[in-house]
Amino acid sequence: MSDPKNNTGPEPTRDDPMIAAEYALGLLEGEELLQARGKVSSDADFAWRKEWWDNWFAPLTDDMAGMEPGGDVWTRIAQEVHGGQNSGTATGGTATGGTAIGGTAIGGAEIIDLRVKQAEGRMRRWQWTAGITSAAAALMLAVLVFAPGSEPVAAPGTQAPQLAAADPLVAQVPIGDTGLRLDVTYIPESEKMLVGAIGLTADGVHDHELWLVPADGSDLQSLGVVVPGEVRSVELPDNIASNLGNGVSLVLTREPIGGKPDGEDAGPVVAEGAFSQV
Amino acid sequence: MADGPASSSSPAANAARERLRAAMVRLADGDSAALEEIYDATRVKLFGICFRILGDRKEAEDALQDVYVNLWQRADRYDPDRASPISWLATFARNRAIDRLRTGKVRGGAVPVEEANPLPDSAPLADSLLVDAENAAQIHTCLAGLDENTRGHIRGAFFEGYTYAQLAEAADVPLGTMKSWIRRGLQKLRVCLEASEAS
Repeated sequence: MSDPKNNTGPEPTRDDPMIAAEYALGLLEGEELLQARGKVSSDADFAWRKEWWDNWFAPLTDDMAGMEPGGDVWTRIAQEVHGGQNSGTATGGTATGGTAIGGTAIGGAEIIDLRVKQAEGRMRRWQWTAGITSAAAALMLAVLVFAPGSEPVAAPGTQAPQLAAADPLVAQVPIGDTGLRLDVTYIPESEKMLVGAIGLTADGVHDHELWLVPADGSDLQSLGVVVPGEVRSVELPDNIASNLGNGVSLVLTREPIGGKPDGEDAGPVVAEGAFSQV
Repeated sequence: MADGPASSSSPAANAARERLRAAMVRLADGDSAALEEIYDATRVKLFGICFRILGDRKEAEDALQDVYVNLWQRADRYDPDRASPISWLATFARNRAIDRLRTGKVRGGAVPVEEANPLPDSAPLADSLLVDAENAAQIHTCLAGLDENTRGHIRGAFFEGYTYAQLAEAADVPLGTMKSWIRRGLQKLRVCLEASEAS
């Protein structure tokens, strides 16, 4: 590969403005991405510089062809926005073209009710973490990692493994062709898993149960019944947490209310996904 | 700030921008009707951005939904004194789409770079909300000052959401080489853009 004539010379310093540019362009991934996200939260100069690049790059979006989204997207947005408010949303929030807000179930979405399910025989209290999406969780983690006053930052040489261990695992489990999906985030340091089923609604007849497919081929492990419309946090027992890793699969099965009955086979797999490390 | 000393845009574009800015302020105050106004004014542009990055209509629609729901939840993040609303929204949408690309299994890494379908850059916009014309001219001028390869890689990152690793693979060069090329380009770009602000 021939070097471009105009692009040789000393390696430029990868200073903060450079990292901010890399972040703004979207070049970063993995640990570097996580570090940049954290720095935006904790370093005002870096945040300013990121915004500076964003503002300069933004006009390039004018060269991206505009497209009309499907008509149901607004319905879904309105449903989510107004679903988050209690009744009495008649405060001027109107829908376009006579589409109903909030009332009707999402077409094709499966049901589930607000139940607590045993994970492998152990009753486990799912804690509410209302309003937190998995993406937000990843950001929160980044903030925790980099927040002033948290654990003292180790010498540069020893920093990498520490961060790598904290990298969240993220999986998206698309539900058929409904356009809906589960967002699953596992945060190793906390041993907590967030399961987000925003946009899903319950049908009152079925529950859906999430399962981990261990890479070693051993039996599926239940991660519990999914709670539609909510993001929930669950602490994982060690025998499940130890099977989590990059590329590990998840499947979602349709079950009677309450989840798979003991002694019976699991219901049909309706969706699947896999973890990847952020 | 990146806003030029005198934003020389058409009166119609300015009016559209001011309407949008006002709607964003109302949204931050909790007026949910403002969200629909913002959606109507910006969905075509923002969906185009999501689709361009994600390359999949379904994913792009999910991303679009995510963008507006997030906007509603955290409308206070927008500072009307600091950025043009459409510029801010476009950046927000692209960032959300990139996040999705990095954490999901959409196109990132799944489809070889050379198979990715390039889209025309000049299809008409259905709305008149363009980002500030002066900024647009300046970033294009500064990009034009880079050598063609580097410019192409930087555009690949911006328009297709490619990472260093994907760009290196597509160009068949070592990762370190690609990083050096792009970093030199970004350094030149910064010097050029800062010079334009100083003048």
